[in-house]
Amino acid sequence: MKQPMTPEDDLFSSPTGEWTRVSASLATIHRLTMTAPAVVVGIVAVVVALVVPSLQWIPWLVAASSVVEAIGSFIWAGRSQRAWGYAENDEDLLVTSGVMFKRLVAVPYGRMQFVDVQAGPLQRFFGVATVTLHTASAETTSNIPGLPSSEATRLRNRLTELGESRGAGV
Amino acid sequence: MSEPGPLPAEAVGIRTHPMTAVVQGALWSVGGAVALVGTTISGGGWGDLGLLLSFVVAVVGGLVIGIGFGFLTWYFTRYVIDGTELRITSGVLTKASRRIPYERIQSVDIAEPLVARLFGLAELRIEMAGGHDSRTTLRFLHIADVRELRRVLLARAHGQEIEESVAEDHRSLITRVPPQRIIVGTVLSLDLAFAMVGLIAAIVAAIWFDQVLVALGGLLPFGSTIVQIITKRVIEQWDFRLSRGDRGLRIERGLLSRTSQTIPFDRVQGIAVKEPFVWRRFGWQRLEVDIAGYAGNDDGEGGQSTSTLLPITDPALAAAIIAELIPGTQITPTARASAPRRSWLFAPIGWRYRWAGADPAAFVASQGWLERTTSLVPHHKTQSVELRQGPLQRWRNVATVEVHSPPGPVDADGRNLDARTARRMWEEQLDRI
Repeated sequence: MKQPMTPEDDLFSSPTGEWTRVSASLATIHRLTMTAPAVVVGIVAVVVALVVPSLQWIPWLVAASSVVEAIGSFIWAGRSQRAWGYAENDEDLLVTSGVMFKRLVAVPYGRMQFVDVQAGPLQRFFGVATVTLHTASAETTSNIPGLPSSEATRLRNRLTELGESRGAGV
Repeated sequence: MSEPGPLPAEAVGIRTHPMTAVVQGALWSVGGAVALVGTTISGGGWGDLGLLLSFVVAVVGGLVIGIGFGFLTWYFTRYVIDGTELRITSGVLTKASRRIPYERIQSVDIAEPLVARLFGLAELRIEMAGGHDSRTTLRFLHIADVRELRRVLLARAHGQEIEESVAEDHRSLITRVPPQRIIVGTVLSLDLAFAMVGLIAAIVAAIWFDQVLVALGGLLPFGSTIVQIITKRVIEQWDFRLSRGDRGLRIERGLLSRTSQTIPFDRVQGIAVKEPFVWRRFGWQRLEVDIAGYAGNDDGEGGQSTSTLLPITDPALAAAIIAELIPGTQITPTARASAPRRSWLFAPIGWRYRWAGADPAAFVASQGWLERTTSLVPHHKTQSVELRQGPLQRWRNVATVEVHSPPGPVDADGRNLDARTARRMWEEQLDRI
């Protein structure tokens, strides 16, 4: 029996059948870096509006736009986190991402020049890291953020190993 | 200074040709002299010295300083060739040493800048894969030494011992592009036409308004564009010769400065066939090539002239050369998908010319109305494959499939194809690479 699927779901589905999703902490990190500042700006704007009435509607405009920004980024962070996914195929690593601008990249293991693992202070606090793949092409900007640290290390070692065994170089 | 006895000559290294000091100095002193002369003219001479005398002092001073620096850099530059790598040490105060493992060499070129050419000297350029600063230059050596060095390096880059490598003379000329053909081609290209129209418009406007300033405002940008186009497409491609060797194609070109490039067969990452608007009427094409390492070096010469495989040619020869570099491919594969009519939103005219397809050897994508570009990326050189779709594309049910190659003129993107078709191509591409 055929599963009812919307065209775009189908379009960016994994050839292996499913995606390994990234940690939900990624959404939390985005909310902390994007939503929280907007909330702070909104609160400050409301306070200014109440304390300095001579400014009239200007602080309210700022407050309203920061509310929109806060709600928007809150929703976006969740959707963006759920949109990230990767899968290890036989011959290539597949990465998908994007809510509005969707993308799906396939990098053959043999073409990987090197693999980076990075984690900033906030990422380290949540125990996640970003894995970045580099090929000889500058267009292959394939990074996977929000991987649990142990998984990031495993993936890097696995990719390096596969890259060495299948390396074709440039 | 005497050579340290116990060390073998190889470890110490070889100096480049002594005339390097003079040539390098001459190149630098031009800059110095121009700057000094500039001050004399704007200042009307230096102090008590007359205009003519200070002019002479400026030129001589520039020469002396330039040659002085040239001598110092020459004195401290040495190169070593051993079993595994080429090492170049240089630097007067800050010592720099670069090691070039043979297996990482992408291509070896010879350049003869005008001044060096007068002395029979040449410069060796070694390209390695990887971002910027991947080019190493060794300047200047006697032209015969440079040729010998290139032969050795290319042989070693292919994992051969020098003894068993064959002499370089196994070359057959594929084609020679006569200068008049390049001139005609350039005159009939659109960007030159645009620049010319702009220049004439600026002059007419200046006469009309009787304002010199208006003319200058138009002359500078359009004039420099024209000069640039003529330099890149005519002077640097003058007397263009393409020949075939055992391991790759050889390009020799240039009117004032001669350049000799080698394109090893197995280092071609992609080919672009460009057909500007007017050229299509005559069936002319320009071939450009992606070699890892070339793109990161825009040292005044520009990526365009180094990556040109053939400045102007007819389709038959272009097809033959493509078949040689990417065996088993056709420029127009039978299985190809065109952009659907509903994608006109993204390219009102250009959508008609967009298609992408693949044959057993390469992925091919074509696009462009004013300048049609057909890009070919061999499957075994494909770095990654991407499928992407933005909100507008989703609305129109189209998607873009991109085949990534190292930086260069080749950009094989099948833009705004039918979404299902794009996905199918993406999947098929995974099986091919």
